[in-house]
Amino acid sequence: MTEISYLAIGPVIALTLGVVVILMVEVSFKPSTSWLAATAGSSLLGAFVLGVLQWAEAAEDPVIRFRGMLALDPFAAFGAVVLTVLGAVALLVAWPLVLQQGRRAAEFVALVLLSLTGMILMAAAAHFIMLFLALEVASISLYVLAGFSRETAEAGEASVKYFLLGSFASAIFLYGVALSYAATGSLSLYGTAAFLSENLLLDSAALLAGIGLLIVGLAFKVSAAPFHMWAPDVYQGAASGVSGFMTAGAKIAGFAALARIAVTSYAPYISDWAPAVGVIAAISIVVGTLLAIAQSDIKRMLAYSSVAHAGFILTGLVAGLDGVPFIWFYVVTYAFQVLGAFAVVSVVSGPAGTRSPLTDYAGLAQRAPALAGSLALLMLSMAGIPLTAGFLSKLYVFREAVDAGYLWLVLIGAVASVAGLFFYLRVIVLMYMNPQGEQTAGAAGSPGVSDSLRIALTGVAVVTLAFGIVPGPLLDVVTTALPL
Amino acid sequence: MDFNVLSLLIWLPVAGAAIVIGLPRRRPELVVPVAFALSILTLGLAGFVVVDFDLSNPGFQFVEKTAIWSDLGIDYNLGVDGISLFLVALTSFLFPIAIVASVNITDRRKEFMATLLLLEGALIGVFLSLDLILFFVFFEVLLVPMYFLIGLWGGERRLEAALKFFLYTALGSAFLLVGIIFLSAQANDQFGSPTFNYLELLNLDISTTTQYWLFAAFGIAFAIKVPLFPFHTWLPDAHTEAPTAGSVILAGVLLKMGTYGFLRFNLNLFPHAAVELAGFLAALAVVGIIYGAVVAIVQPDIKRLVAYSSVSHLGFVILGIFALTSQGVSGGVIQMVNHGLTTGALFLLVGMIYERRHTREISAYGGIQKVMPLFAGFFLFTVFASAGLPGLNGFVGEFLILLGSYARHPILAIIAAVGVLLAAVYLLWAYERVFTGELDSDENRALTDIGVREIGILVPIVALIIFLGVYPKPVLDRIEPAVERVLDRIEDRTGFDSPLRISDVTTDGVEVTP
Repeated sequence: MTEISYLAIGPVIALTLGVVVILMVEVSFKPSTSWLAATAGSSLLGAFVLGVLQWAEAAEDPVIRFRGMLALDPFAAFGAVVLTVLGAVALLVAWPLVLQQGRRAAEFVALVLLSLTGMILMAAAAHFIMLFLALEVASISLYVLAGFSRETAEAGEASVKYFLLGSFASAIFLYGVALSYAATGSLSLYGTAAFLSENLLLDSAALLAGIGLLIVGLAFKVSAAPFHMWAPDVYQGAASGVSGFMTAGAKIAGFAALARIAVTSYAPYISDWAPAVGVIAAISIVVGTLLAIAQSDIKRMLAYSSVAHAGFILTGLVAGLDGVPFIWFYVVTYAFQVLGAFAVVSVVSGPAGTRSPLTDYAGLAQRAPALAGSLALLMLSMAGIPLTAGFLSKLYVFREAVDAGYLWLVLIGAVASVAGLFFYLRVIVLMYMNPQGEQTAGAAGSPGVSDSLRIALTGVAVVTLAFGIVPGPLLDVVTTALPL
Repeated sequence: MDFNVLSLLIWLPVAGAAIVIGLPRRRPELVVPVAFALSILTLGLAGFVVVDFDLSNPGFQFVEKTAIWSDLGIDYNLGVDGISLFLVALTSFLFPIAIVASVNITDRRKEFMATLLLLEGALIGVFLSLDLILFFVFFEVLLVPMYFLIGLWGGERRLEAALKFFLYTALGSAFLLVGIIFLSAQANDQFGSPTFNYLELLNLDISTTTQYWLFAAFGIAFAIKVPLFPFHTWLPDAHTEAPTAGSVILAGVLLKMGTYGFLRFNLNLFPHAAVELAGFLAALAVVGIIYGAVVAIVQPDIKRLVAYSSVSHLGFVILGIFALTSQGVSGGVIQMVNHGLTTGALFLLVGMIYERRHTREISAYGGIQKVMPLFAGFFLFTVFASAGLPGLNGFVGEFLILLGSYARHPILAIIAAVGVLLAAVYLLWAYERVFTGELDSDENRALTDIGVREIGILVPIVALIIFLGVYPKPVLDRIEPAVERVLDRIEDRTGFDSPLRISDVTTDGVEVTP
């Protein structure tokens, strides 16, 4: 337990090195953007390779390192691998935005890498203090990224809103940690688990309040209702080039942290927290779906749909440890879908644009068939149509929830996915069927797609289809990506 | 079997869609011949299955099984029995016709033909799947090509109709999916491993209360598809706004997924609930028969009239199935095929005249049999078939259904017989208003009769209508063993005694068991 394992922090070291090099070289030499791309790319590649090495090591012998601070287990390794890939795709998507930033380009790239380190640590943290620090590293970088195009009023608003509500959520999380510590005397996730399985609490009120606050704090981060109010404004206000990364990254890291806490530390109390998670899931699904129907801006629509998807992912959590592989399956495939969807948005309404009315998409199929085709595929997948990853994700979490006795939640989810079709299909109708009267002047002209974005979108589309038809490989991986 | 003919039936059209999309854009004249050839090839495969079908085997034939996601119990599992055999045959028969009927589509023709072929593959997949998830995947995924078919190439109110169609049917599928997952959870409890295999799920021991809930979950999905009376509101819009090929496929095959689902899943998996609820569903079916017919009488739009006639005709199928007698169920199966042929033909005919005159208002026509004698002949023939004239196919199905349901629900059968009469009323009255009387408008006088291509479309259907009306034996021989097996299973599971079992009757028609 005491020896230092560099492998346990390998991906984080690679990313942090990348950040340091980028910032220092930027200050003294003003390098070109292609140098920036090369540095960020090699740092991400290094993190990826180290993540795979972690996997190979942890699959044999999962351990906890750094005096109980970090877990080196398949769960953490999988998180690191997925997040580095996500970061790489996100940078490809955001590259047109990076090119527009001029002298601030290096800061942008550094912030993306920095938030990734926080996210990777969130998936690996085995200690509440470590988890809190990781959460803050990830969140603060995202607050800055949200307001990065600070010239627009919306970006400023998004950043401030995200910062205030996010800090509020962090405080709630911290309060939950304090209460849990008061009840168990341990700040380690695994120490808490050990204490709870060996001792019977006479009065579990403080512990349950602590668990409740922890769940609320993380529900805030993954934008589950009723703690979702910031999401639409932030995703709309942030530059389209980064909205996708903010949504996807926060979801993966947030759910990783939530799943690890729930199924390790508080596993003995599953009959207490699972109903609460079920209720939050149901509220998220219903609220997200209903409000998404009412949106006329695609970024707000995607934000509310991400609230609904947070609910669907939580549906898998009610099954405890059995549901973890399918939470991974859902959150990973969804993360790439939402990244792809925002990538299309960043082309149609400009990488630095904030507003993106649905009418901009009228007749997109004629102007940019490839763009419209990939957005249509992503919409169908998010709606859960078979032969896409979105369908299987829903099938898996529903099945786990039914097995765990949450039939009511699955019924709500199934009916809501039908209501969800309404707004996903509306985008397709606008792009392909182009009803008269909805065409606006802003919709004219063919948007140019950069090469980096084309690669990213193709990748996302292939992944969405491939895992929708042949989920086996990913399923094999996620079923072993369990916490220690 | 040396080759996997069922897989080929599903994937040949799907591959065909890819081939059609891949055709060079400079050669638009290739699209229709290639699509047609592919659909004829599929028809040939279906014909092979019909001929090679073993009459003495009441179970599933040509079975293929590969585990795809074994840890979840999801298999790629196909098979055909007497119930699905003719639905597959009907599907592969109607698609070449639908393709030839659509040669005048110039807007995105490649995409249109590819969509049709995709639809064909998915539809055949629905009827052949023996794994519930596989069934659901095909069931749900075919909404997408159908949605585009209506939404891209439909009539004036196509967007509304397409959305209504999609949302309605998807709502039903949501309950279906929950039911399927719940069923597999039951399998997990009872067998120790999850499975979605239909044949294994048949061995489940499901409590009566649970059967009611599951029957309802599956039933709503299928009732919307059929559509059974209170769930029919999507149908007139979708049928009317769809392009001709879309209407033919929608009425001819898509609706049969609902009746097929009832017969395959609700009757077999939940026999207790099926026996208890049979009277209720038969009553709903009869309401649909009368309601559909009465509403059809007053339609001013000829395509809507045919659409409502589907509500009425599909009511007969449900009535036959829930009679739970040999004749009723067999009649229901053969009537599915009959309705596909006659209503398909009616939609084709309506499409032909719409292409010439660009209106569906009955009042705009009148006396056109003078300028279109051939067309009028085909139309009258189809009307007779649809109204159940003896000697044509509709009679065989309706007679069997009424015979079979009289033994169980005599009053309902009598009311349903009125529906046969009403069918003659709305169809013949429509014929009278469109074809007879004074030829008083210049536009109508300028109409030209149907040409060789259109005759070529109609003749195969007419031939089958006569064949099935005169000599339905080869078809019934293949249907009956499978139907008997369903009824045996219900009697075995529930102690229900179905009257009028064919197995109770000797060859010379004398009952040997009381």
